[in-house]
Amino acid sequence: MHKIDKAEYQKRLDELSEIFNGIGLRAAELAKSRCPYKDRHDHCTAKFGCRNQRRGEGKVLICAGDDKLDYRSAWETGG
Amino acid sequence: MAELNDIGNEFIRQEIDEFIERPDERARIINLFAKSKPNLQAISAALIDGDNELVDKLTRQALDDGLEALEVMDFGLIAGMAIVGVKFRQNFIFVPEVLACARAMKAGMAHIEPILSASGIEPIAKVIMGTVKGDLHDIGKNLCIMMLRGAGFEVIDLGVDTSPDRFIEAVEEHGAPLLGMSALLTTTMPNMGKTIEAFIDADLRDNVKIMVGGAPVTQEFADDMGADGYGKDAMACVTLAKQLMCVPT
Repeated sequence: MHKIDKAEYQKRLDELSEIFNGIGLRAAELAKSRCPYKDRHDHCTAKFGCRNQRRGEGKVLICAGDDKLDYRSAWETGG
Repeated sequence: MAELNDIGNEFIRQEIDEFIERPDERARIINLFAKSKPNLQAISAALIDGDNELVDKLTRQALDDGLEALEVMDFGLIAGMAIVGVKFRQNFIFVPEVLACARAMKAGMAHIEPILSASGIEPIAKVIMGTVKGDLHDIGKNLCIMMLRGAGFEVIDLGVDTSPDRFIEAVEEHGAPLLGMSALLTTTMPNMGKTIEAFIDADLRDNVKIMVGGAPVTQEFADDMGADGYGKDAMACVTLAKQLMCVPT
């Protein structure tokens, strides 16, 4: 097994952190205008109830929110 | 200067062609993948696809074939995540897809971790993370976990609806010096305070630093509850975790 040099490994962590920081910043910005539980197909991935959920084909839940309202007010507390 | 056709993996070629628009970024990524071995390109492709089982299998195989761990990270895992970052920035994918890719990355890193350990490289610290009792919202917590892992922490994710007893059990079981709690609802926020009280009652409060976060949580609320710190978002969570563990930020 090849050993890993700590300084070299730290460089990779720094690189990863740079990628993740970009993602984190974008996620914070995007959350102001789009529900973070909505995927690229506009399917809802939340494991809780939301009034914006509509049943699609099969078990798929479609997000019917228009993103103009504060989507958080639609989130329900129960499972 | 490498060209797109120098990359053997068709999926990677398509991803770059379709999603990487900025010329400097495109040139850098093409150069990177043109130097990458086919089995490492396959790891990147599986990661971009969010296929954690395939990343797990291919990473194990690459290491068994004698590739060095850092090469697997550079050309397989990090290279794939770089494309994911660009796709997210440009709204081709969203948070759920990013988190699926992060899970795939974790599956690959699971095979690198024993090599790190054998090399004397340990995580910064173990962190227990969970959403408090009564709260099922997890996306902010999951972003924090992704970023903490990327910064070198070992994270034990307790998921959602986590009782104070479960937090205590996990801290004791893993000997974790750091705990992160998330709440999205004003109705569940008080459960953060109840969890902190449970640590006091169990005489374990001095053993663990506790950080809190979530949309309705404020620094003032965190102070009132007796938390050690508050992070307003995932980036702040990492900075706070490092500060609490006395790691330079």
